[in-house]
Amino acid sequence: MEIYVKVFATLRKKYPDINDLNPLKIEIESGISVSQIIVKLGYALTEIHLILLNGKKVDSETLIEEEESILSLFPPVGGG
Amino acid sequence: MNKWLKVNLATNEMKDFFVLEETLRKFIGGKGLAVYFLWEYATGLEEKGVVIKDIDPLSPENMLIFATGPVTGTKSPNSGRHHVMSLKSPLTGSIGSGNTGGNWGAKLKFTGYDGIMIIDKAEKPTYLSIIDGKAELHDATEIWGKNSVETSSFLRKKHDRKRAGISCIGQAGENLVPMAVIMNEEHRAAGRTGLGAVMGSKKLKAIIVEGDNKPKIAKQEEFESKVKEHVEKLKENPVTGQGLPEYGTAVLVNIINQNGLFPTHNWQKGVHKEAEKISGETLTEQYLINKHPCWGCVVACGRKSRVDSGNYKITYTEGPEYESIWALGGSTGINDMTAVIRANHYCDILGMDPISVGSTIAAAMELNEKGLIPEEDLQGMNLEFGNSDVVVELTWMAAFRQGFGYWIGEGSKRMCQHYGNPDLSMAVKGLEMPAYDPRGAKGIGLNYATANRGGCHVTGYTIAAEILGDVDRFTVEGKAELTKIFQDFTSLVNSSVNCLFLTFALGLDEYVEMLEPITGWEFTADELLETGERITNLERMLINKLGFTGKDDTLPKRLLNEQMPEGPSEGQTVDLETMKAEYYELRGWVDGIPSPEKIQELGLD
Ligand code: SF4
Repeated sequence: MEIYVKVFATLRKKYPDINDLNPLKIEIESGISVSQIIVKLGYALTEIHLILLNGKKVDSETLIEEEESILSLFPPVGGG
Repeated sequence: MNKWLKVNLATNEMKDFFVLEETLRKFIGGKGLAVYFLWEYATGLEEKGVVIKDIDPLSPENMLIFATGPVTGTKSPNSGRHHVMSLKSPLTGSIGSGNTGGNWGAKLKFTGYDGIMIIDKAEKPTYLSIIDGKAELHDATEIWGKNSVETSSFLRKKHDRKRAGISCIGQAGENLVPMAVIMNEEHRAAGRTGLGAVMGSKKLKAIIVEGDNKPKIAKQEEFESKVKEHVEKLKENPVTGQGLPEYGTAVLVNIINQNGLFPTHNWQKGVHKEAEKISGETLTEQYLINKHPCWGCVVACGRKSRVDSGNYKITYTEGPEYESIWALGGSTGINDMTAVIRANHYCDILGMDPISVGSTIAAAMELNEKGLIPEEDLQGMNLEFGNSDVVVELTWMAAFRQGFGYWIGEGSKRMCQHYGNPDLSMAVKGLEMPAYDPRGAKGIGLNYATANRGGCHVTGYTIAAEILGDVDRFTVEGKAELTKIFQDFTSLVNSSVNCLFLTFALGLDEYVEMLEPITGWEFTADELLETGERITNLERMLINKLGFTGKDDTLPKRLLNEQMPEGPSEGQTVDLETMKAEYYELRGWVDGIPSPEKIQELGLD
């Protein structure tokens, strides 16, 4: 099945063209975990601080089962 | 020794005074000391029969204070900041308060003064210089009418001091626009509650400072070793070591939008479809020249930026920060970063608070959407959400009180009242709320409601825990305690005075490690947190005098009653009453007023 991945802030260094308006479409097997996708994308798990699956906060062991899910990945960020 | 300058602008009298150690131990410096002075001042006025809440904030009776703290200007990281306060804000009627980066705080410290207290009002435009320890008042007629950048370069040249620190107002402050700010280092602002208008009402255009008096450190060796450790911690922390330096505060645009609490269309929604175009990543890729740290900063979240083409071409400006991008861009529903940069530039040079400007424009857009603004008032302006040109135009007009810009400058509360729908003002105590919809992070809602200066995030930034950390953002449970701790710790930071962003990496223990060697006094972490609590409470007692009580600790009806219509925070409202009851209980307040027992416990009786 297909899902969409969006990466933000310093994670864009690896995928400079991927953003909210231009997500990365990837083909996965249903039921694989977020951490497997993170590794598949070439990131270390420690680089990822916040994971949103369809807008909801999840952890890296969450399984992706829904077609066309949107996975958003963030490094640690802050501001004010 | 803590030396202050008291300036009476009516008589031109200037006097040094010294603060007792006992007072410093209780209030530290910066905001804490300013609140203490304002309290003493207000009490003195009351004894003369003045009713504090009836004071006109733009009258000579208002007091203006510029304060540094024990950490300011030392080698401790990010210590170039200062705090500005006035007894009353012209925008809100509550206390006037703003913290600012830049370099002025450190430069004031180098003059040998820890702070300046300004009373009364000058007859004609005036500026103050404190150079090599000598304070003088000068005629400012030739710079009245100049913007903050022109004013700063004029004064540096006139005094032949290239590196002097300059705090000043732009035209908005001169024109008494209630949301005017006090700028320093050209692009840094004591940015909220209209302090620039208070300065303008006193006809004080600027304060130029320079000297070479290095702050005294009680235990030098210990201090230096702690400074080293703290700098290490800041470099290692991913937020202060990487996120903030690389993208600035604007990195939050995407993360807050993706979580569905990026208020747009005047808080009717929480997701901006094209937020990417006004994001920190876009700013970095397309408009960034370089980073710009405040004095003594090892993080450098500040941005130098430019726009190379189009209507809003500009070769040099600074920012915009997350809050400015949100207010001028997100809230108004626009997607043109160049317009945001231009409007933000106008706020800087003319001296206005971009949060209040952008939010008030967004409120006007909603009033217009609902057909509540007569056409003749708009003089042909198209006030539709998403119109970037009108945002830029109205920002300029607000500073000069031109046409409909008059109402923008007055702020959303007065404007929405004038046009018959006060509920469309997204403000608390008259201060426009910043860039996080509390329907998506409940603790920040409690902070907006209870912050003494009004709708404000930086007095208790629970977002650090609720969105950037691991605390459940939707629950109200535990949010009272979270908010209280954030507020009291922040009061301590603003009294120390250094940068709040340090707190991403440094906690209370590190504040003990900073303050002990600088002052030579001993503190525990708990005592410091109690000091923060004391300051928060005395400030609360002051706003009680200004007429603010529990009824004012609230949120706009939209956030309490209207469910977030879509996105990751869909269906949420804020159950404020539950959090507020628990918060008052924890604080020892009754209906927003500190109880006699609490006052006694904190040594404020
Ligand atoms: S982190 Fe940013 S706001 Fe804080 S002192 Fe540094 S540049 Fe200034």
